Amino acid sequence: MELILASAECDPAHDIICAPTDVNELFEFREAIFHIGSFPITRTVFLILAIAVIVSAVLYFGLRKKAVVPGKFQTSVEGLVGFVRNDIAIEIIGEHGAKYAPWLLSIFLFVLVGNLYEVTPGVNFPVTSRMALPVMLAAITWVVFVIAGIKRQGLHYFLGIVWPTSVPIALRPLVGLIEFFSILLLRPLTLAIRLFANMVAGHLMLTLLLVSGWVFISSVGDIGARAGIGIAWFTMGLGIFVFEIVVIMLQAYIFTLLSAVYVQTSLYPEH
Amino acid sequence: MELAAAEALKGAIALVGYGLAAIGPGIGIGIVAGSAIEAMARQPEAAGIARTTMFLGIAFTEALALIGFVLFFIA
Repeated sequence: MELILASAECDPAHDIICAPTDVNELFEFREAIFHIGSFPITRTVFLILAIAVIVSAVLYFGLRKKAVVPGKFQTSVEGLVGFVRNDIAIEIIGEHGAKYAPWLLSIFLFVLVGNLYEVTPGVNFPVTSRMALPVMLAAITWVVFVIAGIKRQGLHYFLGIVWPTSVPIALRPLVGLIEFFSILLLRPLTLAIRLFANMVAGHLMLTLLLVSGWVFISSVGDIGARAGIGIAWFTMGLGIFVFEIVVIMLQAYIFTLLSAVYVQTSLYPEH
Repeated sequence: MELAAAEALKGAIALVGYGLAAIGPGIGIGIVAGSAIEAMARQPEAAGIARTTMFLGIAFTEALALIGFVLFFIA
């Protein structure tokens, strides 16, 4: 259905690629699938709720038995949890890292499943490509690292940002100003935009190439040899598809890694 | 009519702007990844630290290109 939506204006006899007339319709689903009370559930909201169910189910069934000789599924889930706990939380934050591991694991799995929707057949829509979601996650990270800084250093946390004692006194106002904007404003902003922009770009590329390929190949009876363009687009689309799977995991990892780094810098500002 | 032409031109300028915004981070990511590979080749036992730091460096460098990408859509 969305295939038709995105390529409705495409004319394979004259165009060389099917560009959607309105990019927004690839990301906005306004009609509700069903209602809970008077609250309409759109496709995006439904997928977000599905993340919670999927993640809880994987963690519950993966770690329920705690067998001495774990099966394949338990080993994979334990590997995932252990990766976030040891290689991100403890490795980056240090000895206090284990305290932040549950939060980092939640972020990691939420972003990972939200991103994986992009390459899931039948869903093909990364919910993290809606700016509201990365912004919310980045806002949570912002609250966590600011509170971690205040709890550790008190109000000296803010003083340390705007009046850094490690630089010469003449430079302190300038460096303090830059640090203030970079830590309290640019950090959460770039954290959110990085995830959002990567997912938007990936979703656009996949839609553009695969839909073009499909439209050209399926109209081979009308346009004859020009359908060969479609094979090229489709092959490229499949190549991007594999590339996107790598990007999806990398972005989930980088989002979690940077959240951990931000907490680490507010706990130990001297580093 | 003039308004439509101006709109089309605005889109084209935004496209060029994003291209310009991608130059710096492109070079920067190349330097970061190249140095990381060099470090890993020289000291394979420190590959883990080099890899994590490389991802961090790439993430920070990439931010400028991403801001350009967003401005391209806003324009």
